Amino acid sequence: MSKNLNENLISSLIDRNSKVLDIGCGNGDLLFHLEKVKKINGQGIEISPNGVQESVAKGLSVIQGDADIDLASFPDNAFDVVILSHTLQATHKPKEVLIEMLRIGKKCIISIPNFGYWKYRIQMLFMGVMPVSKTLSEPWYATGNIHLCTLRDFIELCELLNISIDEAFRNTTHSIKKINKPNSYLNNLLSIEGIFVLSNN
Amino acid sequence: MGTTGPSSINKQEDIEYGMKFPIFTIKDMVNLQLALIDSLNIEQLFSVVGGSMGGMQALEWASSYPERVYSAIPIATSYRHSAQNIAFHEVGRQAIMNDPNWQKGNYYNTKNKPRHGLSVARMIAHITYLSEGAFQEKFGRDMQSKVLSWGFDADFQVESYLRHQGISFVDRFDANSYLYITRAMDYFDLSHSYDGDLFLAFKKTRCKLLIVSFTSDWLFPSSESLAIVKALNKTAADVSFVEVNSDKGHDSFLLEVKDLYKILSGFISGAARKKGI
Repeated sequence: MSKNLNENLISSLIDRNSKVLDIGCGNGDLLFHLEKVKKINGQGIEISPNGVQESVAKGLSVIQGDADIDLASFPDNAFDVVILSHTLQATHKPKEVLIEMLRIGKKCIISIPNFGYWKYRIQMLFMGVMPVSKTLSEPWYATGNIHLCTLRDFIELCELLNISIDEAFRNTTHSIKKINKPNSYLNNLLSIEGIFVLSNN
Repeated sequence: MGTTGPSSINKQEDIEYGMKFPIFTIKDMVNLQLALIDSLNIEQLFSVVGGSMGGMQALEWASSYPERVYSAIPIATSYRHSAQNIAFHEVGRQAIMNDPNWQKGNYYNTKNKPRHGLSVARMIAHITYLSEGAFQEKFGRDMQSKVLSWGFDADFQVESYLRHQGISFVDRFDANSYLYITRAMDYFDLSHSYDGDLFLAFKKTRCKLLIVSFTSDWLFPSSESLAIVKALNKTAADVSFVEVNSDKGHDSFLLEVKDLYKILSGFISGAARKKGI
């Protein structure tokens, strides 16, 4: 899956000069890209010391912190956009993190690997092993992805929390496509990753 | 380096101030720096950088004169001196004040200066600047010679090192200044005027901030920096926080820690880019 595809999509969803928080910003590539093309006022949170150091060395504002703990210190609606890219499944309390990010951001963009992707289902069904792929590259005993879900699971959680899904996108290995019915059987089967734009109802 | 201190001549009495010197605070130091940049017609400082007590000053700048700083880098510091740190300072001050040569601070024109007291104060302080790991790595139980004295000479290298640190400090530092400066740090508490609510101290802060702490610093542990970061987050300030991995304790900020340089130069060039310089 192309990193650029993701960057371009997220970038297209963000207005110029927005105040943006990227939770789990890694080495800051996405924030750096957004500062360049959208002139955003960016802030990142990253748990790994190396990621933070690389980000700060790029001139980005990044806090060494933990999504599970440190979102609580931000005030309501502190950011125009909060991004959580490939991070929710690695948190200890995904539900609370989701609630927190919608509290501090007016709009949230979240991408999650889809455990319901057909290749994963085949690995489970026919080989009887935990799925491993380019996206989920670590074996079960080493992975930080402790809360994997399918797109359907995620959408159900949004409904439960009264979160509105304003836009949804499907990532296959080659392209990103806007989808109108994110909760469809087919979408859950064909997406290796789902990207959602969320806001509070 | 400094401006006026207890060893300066009080022109009214034509004698050193000694303990008649007024108590001063971190904010007084910053006010003095402000007066300096005012007289130089500098409207805004691009970056205020400081470690330890210097970090307190950097925080004071960001809190009290937010429009006069574009960015600030408080390193290995805290928004208030902790009880443990005050305790260490108190032991150091007591060592000085209990030295018979201290003479209530009026030692300037006598033969004897409170060398022993000041050097013990420095030895204690020096322990707090390092870490257990740094001591272990640097000295272990290495001996000065192969035979023990079976007494109280400096048998261990760590003892001789500390004694040397203490004695060499005495020649370049005034004992009364040590009392006053440690007191200024003890009295520092940015949250004090806000009933302990630190984020109110940063309510007007608009500068870019980079907070740095070190993993092995137990004098100003990362938890102190995190408290500052949390308060700044509450105001949605533009803040970065990095905990640098180092086994050298509080002293790390003075040493060549490669990661620190990488972070500082990245932050400063990023800030310069944003400022358009």
